[in-house]
Amino acid sequence: MMPPATLTRRAAPVLACIGLLAVWQVASLALKNDSFPTAIEAIRAIPDILGDKESLINILASLRRMAIGFGVAVLVSIPLGLLMGRSRGVAAFFNPLLMVIYPVPKAALMPIIMLWLGVGDITKTLVIFLGVSLPVIYHSFEGAKAVEEKMLWSGAAMGLSPAQRLLRIVLPAALPEILTGCRTGLVLALITMITSEMIARQSGAGNILFNALDMGQYDTVFAMIIIVGAMGICLDAIFERVRARLVRWSEPQFDMPLSFS
Amino acid sequence: MKVRQNGRGSNDAPHGCGNGRLSGRFLAKLVPYGEASDGMTVVPARSNEWVRPVTSHEPASAIIEIDRVSQVFQTSARRDHVALSDISLTIEEGAFVSILGPSGCGKSTLLYIVGGFVSPTNGTARMKGQAITGPGPDRGPVFQEFALFPWKTVLGNVMYGPRQQGVRAAEAEAQSRTLIEMVGLKGFENFYPKELSGGMKQRVALARTLAYHPEVLLMDEPFGALDAHTRTRLQNDLLNIWERDRKTVLFVTHSVDEAVFLSDKVVMMSKSPGRIREVIDIDLPRPRRRTELLLDPRYQKYVVDIERMFDDGDEAGPAL
Repeated sequence: MMPPATLTRRAAPVLACIGLLAVWQVASLALKNDSFPTAIEAIRAIPDILGDKESLINILASLRRMAIGFGVAVLVSIPLGLLMGRSRGVAAFFNPLLMVIYPVPKAALMPIIMLWLGVGDITKTLVIFLGVSLPVIYHSFEGAKAVEEKMLWSGAAMGLSPAQRLLRIVLPAALPEILTGCRTGLVLALITMITSEMIARQSGAGNILFNALDMGQYDTVFAMIIIVGAMGICLDAIFERVRARLVRWSEPQFDMPLSFS
Repeated sequence: MKVRQNGRGSNDAPHGCGNGRLSGRFLAKLVPYGEASDGMTVVPARSNEWVRPVTSHEPASAIIEIDRVSQVFQTSARRDHVALSDISLTIEEGAFVSILGPSGCGKSTLLYIVGGFVSPTNGTARMKGQAITGPGPDRGPVFQEFALFPWKTVLGNVMYGPRQQGVRAAEAEAQSRTLIEMVGLKGFENFYPKELSGGMKQRVALARTLAYHPEVLLMDEPFGALDAHTRTRLQNDLLNIWERDRKTVLFVTHSVDEAVFLSDKVVMMSKSPGRIREVIDIDLPRPRRRTELLLDPRYQKYVVDIERMFDDGDEAGPAL
């Protein structure tokens, strides 16, 4: 039997969902607008989409681009951020560049990228990559900068080379911060994924959504929003589990440190 | 020499019983047991007047030589701050030497120079005749901030050094478990640093450093962040551990009691600029027991004399 507090905590998101759907249902019934289907109509349309082979291929293509864009971004951004955090020279070189790119909406770059690279996978994956990179670089940079000097000295005294210190001390020490950046990056990957497919409409979940809108299939539009939203929630939940497991050491197991000299 | 504290022979003695005599036979290169405080000389070093002749050969047992070292930092106001001015000091192998001084006298900086973490602006520090150019496993630091690896358990922290040196996992683990027991943390092997109190963390840090067999321990105000009670316990335990293999220790502190209680030599420093003011031999018998020592007039005199010297210095402005 779960203690009441745990039960409440577990049930809260489910209750929030039910509440949201209930408000939707009531609002939709009250407005009686063709472009605003009821929650039940939208949910009924979900199996049709997921059962359709064409739609499924589109959604999987979206997820593939997202995975590649996110994966490559993480693989590039973590080392770059860590190097920037530990080396003034590297930071001085990349900082101005990143400061310029940071506030630019990555979707706004799409027209140029489309012009050069077409409307295919490369363009969309590149936009996802750009969207994910910056928060991951930023958090890796901050994490690496905050690593205690004495910890690195201790490693140096044990005979770790500068490269080994970066890999075996800075990386694990900055991991909690890095994973915070990755979590933000994951949500941004989903956002840029859908955005890129809305701009370069050729395939993907965003494409299904906008095609349905063009054809006035409003239940499909809302069903796609639910599907994409659910994807985001699931990916985030899975990531959070992985994160919590990887940085268990940074959370105290007990509320109070043990008293023992 | 590395065998001497790998935990097999010398650590069989129960922790805390102060049975250091047994390990005397491992100390081939060190000063014979019992004559320690007579045999070790820190060459004093009124910094200004003492110039080491280039040709002179150091006595065989000098392990660390600090030769006219100065350290100048640039402050944020772009002014030069002289942290250390012309420091010369020789430390004999097996000696427990404390560097004592007010905060800001550069005593930690001196330790970092010996550790190779900081390069001196002028002068050189040598370890066994070799100029120190960077950190190395022959000089093991223990910091006030503990600086443990928080993602590693107690065992993982202690095993880190030996594993880095290429010791096989099973062997490193066995040695580390012995060391963890020696510092009084048996049963906490799988705890993460976050779950430990300050005193426990410093015990882990000491075990982690001892695990890779440094020839010199560099202790940077190791007990400075601990409460008085914990501090006393750790001082006692450190002495007990030290009695087993008489490793060379360079110990930075601002506590006069602590310096006198632990050391063979106390190097008194004065600040702005950081200079060596006085080197005092602490001629008290070992093994030392705190309760006996506190009642010993000789101990009391050392403490009072040193405190007086600091007071005089403060009144007279910068010493020397």
